[in-house]
Amino acid sequence: MSGGRIRALAGRIVRGLRHDPRSVGLMIVVPLIVMALIGYLVGTDREPLRVGVSAAAASDAPSAAYRTAFVTALRAQPGIRVVTVASEAGGRAEVIDGSLSGLIVIGGTAAGGGAPVNVVVAGEDVRVEEPVTRAAAAAAAAASGHPFPADAMPGVNVTRIAIPTGRHPSTITYAAPALITVFAFLFVFMLTSVAFLRERSSGTLDRLLASPVTKADVLIGYLLGFVGFATVQTMIVLGYATLVLHAEIAGSFWLVLLILALLVVGVVNLGITLSFYARNELQVIQFIPLVLMPQIFLGGLFWPVATLWPPLRWLGELFPVTHAVTALRDVMIGGKGLWDIASQLGALAAFALVMVLAGVAVLRRQRA
Amino acid sequence: MDAIQVRGLERTFGSVRALDGLDLDVAEGELLGLIGPNGAGKTTLIRTLAGLLAPSGGTVRVLGKAPGRAVASEVGYMTQAAALYDDLTVEENLSFFGRIYGLSPRDARARAAVLADLVELKDKLHTPARDLSGGMRQLVNLTCAMVHDPALLLLDEPTVGIDPLLRRALWAYFASLNAAGTTILITTHVMDEADRCARIALIADGRTLATGTPQALRATTASGSLEDAFLHLRDRAPA
Repeated sequence: MSGGRIRALAGRIVRGLRHDPRSVGLMIVVPLIVMALIGYLVGTDREPLRVGVSAAAASDAPSAAYRTAFVTALRAQPGIRVVTVASEAGGRAEVIDGSLSGLIVIGGTAAGGGAPVNVVVAGEDVRVEEPVTRAAAAAAAAASGHPFPADAMPGVNVTRIAIPTGRHPSTITYAAPALITVFAFLFVFMLTSVAFLRERSSGTLDRLLASPVTKADVLIGYLLGFVGFATVQTMIVLGYATLVLHAEIAGSFWLVLLILALLVVGVVNLGITLSFYARNELQVIQFIPLVLMPQIFLGGLFWPVATLWPPLRWLGELFPVTHAVTALRDVMIGGKGLWDIASQLGALAAFALVMVLAGVAVLRRQRA
Repeated sequence: MDAIQVRGLERTFGSVRALDGLDLDVAEGELLGLIGPNGAGKTTLIRTLAGLLAPSGGTVRVLGKAPGRAVASEVGYMTQAAALYDDLTVEENLSFFGRIYGLSPRDARARAAVLADLVELKDKLHTPARDLSGGMRQLVNLTCAMVHDPALLLLDEPTVGIDPLLRRALWAYFASLNAAGTTILITTHVMDEADRCARIALIADGRTLATGTPQALRATTASGSLEDAFLHLRDRAPA
C-alpha cells in the first residue's frame, strides 16, 4: 500500500468528475427534484382527511372513559377531521364510497381483527393510510391510561416505531431515513459501478494492474474518491429533508454520518464487484433494480415487514439497507445512541467487510 | 542478461490454446518485432509479460524476474486501444500514471510536460483526452507507458489505426528510444513495419515459427516477401 498512489487514484476520480460538470450537476439536481416531489406528496398543507370513529360491538367494547380520551386525543391530531359514525358497518360503507378517508374502530372489528385500535382505509393510498394510522397511534397512546375492556390492553399494535414521549413523527420524518438510505445506496452504486466498468473497458485497469499499485491501493483510492461525492449527495438529501421538509433528527448527527459511511464503504465495493459481471453500462444499470428493489421491498422501508412470510423476513435481515434504515430510524426518530444501534452497525460493518473481500477477489481474477 | 526470456510458454482460455509452447528471447537494448496474424497469440504474450495473465505452463522471465509487481516499475505497457481517462486532460492523464509509478505530484507534472513536448502535444496539455483525435490519443497512450522511464517497453500494436505520416513519426521515435538504451518489444500484423525492427519473431497459433533479421527471413523464399516467408514457414511447421 502506498499513500501517494492512493491519493493519486482518489484524486483521479475527483478530477475526472470536475471535467464532467453535467454528471456533477445531475448528482445534485436529481436528489433535489426527487426530494421536492416527495415533499409535495407527503406535505402537510393539504385538506384535512375526514376520519370516522366507531366503537366495537358490545362484548369487547372499551370503557366509555377510554373512548372519550381517545376521541379527544384524536381530534387534537393535525391533518384529520374526526367524524363520529353510528356503526362500524356504516363507517365501512362511507370509506368505500369515499365520503370518509378512513375509519378507526376502537376495540375488535366486526371482521374479527384482534388489535385494540384498528384502522380501515380503502385501497393502498399511503397519503391516507399513513396519517390516519399515525393519528390513531397518537390517540391510543394518549388514552392508554384509561381502562380498556376487561383486563386492559393498553398496548397498540399500529405503532410501528419507538418514539420519544410526546412526539410523533411526521410523514417526512418517518420517510427520511429510508429516502436517505435508498439515495445513498443508489447514487454510490451507480457512480462506482459505471466508473469501474469504464476503467475495465477502456483498458486503464490493465494499465493500473501492470503498474506497481496493489489491489488495496485501487480499492481504497476508489473508496476515498467516491466518499466525498456520496457525502455531498447524502447531505443534500438530509439537508432538504430537515431544513425544507422539517424532518427531525432526534439523535446524534454524527451517528447518522457513521451509519451512512459504513453503508457507503460496502456499496462502493459492491459496485466494483458487480461491475465485473457487466459488459456494458446498460447492464450495470440493469443491475440496479435487481440489487435495490428486494432491499426496498423486504427491508421495511416504506411498509412494515413484520407480518411477511418468515423466510422472506430472514432474507430482509441479510440486506444492508434494512440495517441502515433501522439504525437511522432509531437515531433520527427514536433519538437512540451508539450502543442501541450497535447490532445494526455491526451488520453494516460485516457487509462492508464482505464486499471489500469480494472486491479484492474480482480484482485478483482480473490479474490472472 | 536477456530482457525477456520465454520458454515453452502455454496459456489456455477454456479449451482455446492461445499460447502453445512459445519460446522467445529478447536481448537487453534490442528492438524486436513480434509479427503474426490476428489470433496468433501476440496480445496474450504481451499481457503475460506485463503480469496481467498467469501462464498455464512454461517459464517467463522479465528483466530476470517473474512478471508482475516486482518488475512493474521497470516495464512500460502500452495497450492496443488507447487506455486513457477520457474525462482527464492530457496532463492529468500523464501525471496520474506518473504518480502511480511513484513520482511526487510535482515531478509527475514536470515529466508530463517533458513527454508532451517530446511527442509535440504541448499545446494539447490541457485538452481532455476525449477531445483528441485517434492519432493523438495513441501518442498520449504511448507517453503514458513511458512516464516512469522504463527499461523495457511492451507495445501492443501501437500503430493500429494511425495514418502513415504519424506512423512513420512513431517508428522514428521508437528507434530513438531504442538507441538511448530502452529494450522494446513491439507487436504488429503489418508486415512492412517489420523492416524497421533489428530482429523479428514470426509467431502463429501460439508458437514461434522463426526469429531472425528481416533480411534473413525474406531469404527463406524466392519472392523475398515477408508475407510469403511467413506463409511458407507456417505450412512447414508441424501441426
